[in-house]
Amino acid sequence: MTTSDLRTALLSADPRLSKFSPLPRILAFDEFDSGTHGWTELLGNYNGRGDLSTVDDHMRDFRPPQLSACNFFDIGTHGALSGTYALKLATRPYKGHTAVAIRRLTMSGRGLVQLETYFAFKSEATLGGGSELDTFGDVQWDGNTHPSEAQFGAFTVATDLCGDGGLRYHTVARYQNTDLDNRFTRQWMAPTVPEPTPREHFEGKVKLEYAADFTAPNPEDWQAFGEPQELCYNEVPTKVNWHYLRWLVDTEKRRNVELQVNDRVMNMRDVPVPPYEERYETLENLLNFYFSVRTHSAVRNFLFLDSVLISVDW
Amino acid sequence: MRQSMTAVLERDTTFDTRFATEPYEVAWAGEARWFVQHVGGDGTATYITQVSPDGITWCDLDDVEHAVEPGKLVSWPVTGFGHWLRLRAKVEGSVQVRIHLAVKA
Repeated sequence: MTTSDLRTALLSADPRLSKFSPLPRILAFDEFDSGTHGWTELLGNYNGRGDLSTVDDHMRDFRPPQLSACNFFDIGTHGALSGTYALKLATRPYKGHTAVAIRRLTMSGRGLVQLETYFAFKSEATLGGGSELDTFGDVQWDGNTHPSEAQFGAFTVATDLCGDGGLRYHTVARYQNTDLDNRFTRQWMAPTVPEPTPREHFEGKVKLEYAADFTAPNPEDWQAFGEPQELCYNEVPTKVNWHYLRWLVDTEKRRNVELQVNDRVMNMRDVPVPPYEERYETLENLLNFYFSVRTHSAVRNFLFLDSVLISVDW
Repeated sequence: MRQSMTAVLERDTTFDTRFATEPYEVAWAGEARWFVQHVGGDGTATYITQVSPDGITWCDLDDVEHAVEPGKLVSWPVTGFGHWLRLRAKVEGSVQVRIHLAVKA
């Protein structure tokens, strides 16, 4: 038996790890039955006096993540894939609002980095109202499809990476369920520009409004990759079906590699990764990951993460 | 070791009318404590803890109002809650508020 065979056997025999396909070195294994594991709210930068009014408007209200038992009005506690709790990101019920959870590491090498998770996405249930609420966006309730699916905007998995003398860049994969007019697109997308930064605002170059898309504010700066993909919403806002996601990037080449979501593997090698033109200080070897969820309606949107595993080949 | 978590539910937000904080799910926690700080404005607000079975429908946990004056930090414990917590507030004048929810298993 080779070392590789033994490792494979050990991973396969562990029910916590056998649902993942980690690279040789596991940096983080986060099951949210045991806390938040460093997945925390993202906040924009502020001045030396802790004056939070100096935080950019579009980066001051990304909401704290919650440890959720997936409690719902109709069935009570749903629970997570493994155990009771999932990490939940919840937007405000305000069109464009985004909730973000970020995890902050640094790189002790360069090469392949893989993030795996089991996730579910939902809109908040609506209780009461008139029959007009049986229609939203592309959906008319028919006993099967449910208007809440069209009230879900988008979720994103992304990195914030820096090294090699302050060269900073993001790799980003967004699932856009609906466009800003609440029409289904069900498309994976990536931005063609770097994310606006507090420094750019400080220098007077960018001033974004509350609920602007912080990853790339102009919808024209997003391009689709892969074919549209229908995920499992499962009809109503309170059924949670867990999807597998595996995302591979290369910090040696500063490129995307591939994204797997359930049975679909998408080649991301040609998806551009635009770096910042200027070099950054104090970010050397930055290895951040974030998940975000953005509502395109006046309904809260949720992203649930059962567990997350981050592994590398260095 | 006990699990603990602090959530900042409002971060220096200005209100001049009634408001409620966003729902926060705390099924895992056995105890909680609110910290409400008025960091700006010259108004006063009173707060009541609310609980919910589903994060959608709310009722007051008790009939205890907590008044916060300009520049003050006020705190109170919460016990016997269900799986969701929020605050509702009545505002007189204008207040700029910072609200922490500290929870422990």
